Amino acid sequence: MDFAMRPAVEADLDEIYAIEHASFGSTAWPKQMMTTELAPSPNRNYFVALEGDRIVGYAGICVVDGNHADVMTIAVSAEQRGKGLGRALMNRLISVAAKRGAREMFLEVRADNPIAQTLYESLGFAQIDLRRAYYQPEGIDAVIMRADLSAKVVELAQQAIREPLVLGIESSCDETGVGIVRGNTLLANVIASSMDAHARFGGVVPEIAARAHLESLQPTLREALRTAGVSLSEIDAIAVTNGPGLAGALMVGVGAAKALAVATGKPIYAVNHLVGHVGVDVLERGEVVTPTIALLVSGGHTSLLLVRDLVSDVELLGETIDDAAGEAFDKVARLLGLGYPGGPVIDQAAATGNPKAIRFPRGLTLPKDMEKHRYDFSFSGLKTAVARWVEVAEAKGEDFSIGDVAASFREAVVDVLVSKAVAACLDNNVPRLLLGGGVVANRRLRELAAERCEAAGIELRIPALSLCTDNGAMIAALGAQLIMAGHEPSTLDFAADSTLSVTSIQTS
Amino acid sequence: MNAFLAIDTTTGTSVAVVAGDRVLAEINVDDRMGHSENIGSALVEVLKRADVRASDLTAVVAGRGPAPFTGLRVGIAAAVAFAEGIGRPLFGVVSHDAMALAAFDAGLQASAEHPLLITTDARRSEVYFTIYSGLDAHGIPTRMTEPAVAKPAALEALLQEQGITAQTTEVTMSAAALGRVAQSQLLVGLVSDDVTALYLRAPDAVEPKARGRIGKAVS
Repeated sequence: MDFAMRPAVEADLDEIYAIEHASFGSTAWPKQMMTTELAPSPNRNYFVALEGDRIVGYAGICVVDGNHADVMTIAVSAEQRGKGLGRALMNRLISVAAKRGAREMFLEVRADNPIAQTLYESLGFAQIDLRRAYYQPEGIDAVIMRADLSAKVVELAQQAIREPLVLGIESSCDETGVGIVRGNTLLANVIASSMDAHARFGGVVPEIAARAHLESLQPTLREALRTAGVSLSEIDAIAVTNGPGLAGALMVGVGAAKALAVATGKPIYAVNHLVGHVGVDVLERGEVVTPTIALLVSGGHTSLLLVRDLVSDVELLGETIDDAAGEAFDKVARLLGLGYPGGPVIDQAAATGNPKAIRFPRGLTLPKDMEKHRYDFSFSGLKTAVARWVEVAEAKGEDFSIGDVAASFREAVVDVLVSKAVAACLDNNVPRLLLGGGVVANRRLRELAAERCEAAGIELRIPALSLCTDNGAMIAALGAQLIMAGHEPSTLDFAADSTLSVTSIQTS
Repeated sequence: MNAFLAIDTTTGTSVAVVAGDRVLAEINVDDRMGHSENIGSALVEVLKRADVRASDLTAVVAGRGPAPFTGLRVGIAAAVAFAEGIGRPLFGVVSHDAMALAAFDAGLQASAEHPLLITTDARRSEVYFTIYSGLDAHGIPTRMTEPAVAKPAALEALLQEQGITAQTTEVTMSAAALGRVAQSQLLVGLVSDDVTALYLRAPDAVEPKARGRIGKAVS
């Protein structure tokens, strides 16, 4: 069987209604009611089964009071019956109901449909009641069935559903990324970076980054599809970063993703870039073990998150109040005449330096700062301190080692990052720390994090570097997690939001 | 039916479906900021009004500008992605060509001596401009100058220097006209697959003062 499944969207109405009408005849829902059912809703989930791009079945649930779910409807077009589609749809409903917290599930079925009853029984449903002459005008009885959504029932359903094939587009900074995942499995992660174009400016120039995204879009998309060995028609959904990031850069990805969704008729998920950095761990570990603290460090962000649930509960504990850590590396590298990007060149210079040679300030670690900014960072003062130190040394005509300056600066940055991350773990009683963002490439950061986490009994997760830097795979992975948790697609009207809050995991 | 989807975001968001010289539908959202918000629903709506499915379209046409940066890119990115999505060719048309076509359609007569001057806002007290001598035998606007950017006074001086008495007219950007230019160009083999954005300005970025290596070199 080669069918696909995805969340239903309002545009599916006509095709769904054609099946509804053919399947239920006089007891079919009025079209207006079907329209209402398909509209985005916090407690309903509708899915369609597809053969190619044609809808051949659909089903929906309503989760009531958060603990029980009702099957609203389920139908498969006549010529596609007997191929397991009804079972696949039911498995999806059970899985979503369980993820949304339902502990039992109800449905009603015509007493003259023994095939359907047998299917439901095999999935864990049992008859609990009979309503006489429920289906009119024929006067057919309705069998009321109930399933206890026990761990076993749910696990079977989850195993059975096909994991969604999601294409993710990332364009928040200077990397154009297109990634493709099937559920938790990475199929492609193609990145085109405009880093070299920014080199002579010593930092990312937003307009140059945005221009490069437009030029890289088509080749990156094609390469990702080629690597994954899939065609766009096979994709179940499109995910795109809609923030936070550089506004002009984000808009390229958002414009492209929306057009791709309309052109292919696929649902779209607008997802948070920072939460994507956390969600990427599913590609290596099959899940993001929660709760976890996440430290995200890049040229654009320095954020400390408390993730209680990847798709529903992320809290920002703190972030930089001025420069991002990666930006500080770039600025200090420029100051020391070492080149761009700053991270690798400072790492290289620091390799032979003494990290204790100069005691540079640790931003926001004084007792008074810790009261107000316990989990916030500041690197602007550190950068100035390095500049002053070099100025003074040069004015005195002293001979000094660039290696010592680089190593001492790096130590100051990394010390603050790791200290605050470990403190967040201990304060919140969360024994896990996940690192993400391009600065994770920094060897000393990984080293010190490993050292201090081990000492504090904290489990440290560092995804592969290709998944730590900005990439489309993490966006696809987060999209897939949202779909598997039963989240509705976004509408087509969402905005690119350069300051999107981490609490907004998906923009509806 | 040779139905093209045309997308232009040089001013607001304009999308259209055209078949030959017929405009099946056009949507114009006159919002000069919200291109990335508006583009998705505009595309859905224009297909609906034209009563075509995405897979019925035979090509996608992108308006290349000239235009200020951010909005222009949204339309080109959308056109690139849409063409990939339906696996059809992508064409690029200079947006001023579409405005010229609309002006000539409205009855304006032009010649090399009395050409049509199309100008659009380039911000920073500058204008983008292109000069047209009329329509060629295939109904395609003929450019006398390539799109450029200048201060209005400098443009004025340029016209005077070249002895050109240009005509201007009020005309708004229309994706339908953009699609029709591409249709005409396709008929005579002049359609281009170049969708490079016409920014006509380098990015604002200042190179920091070069700083020599300082201190003691570390091997």
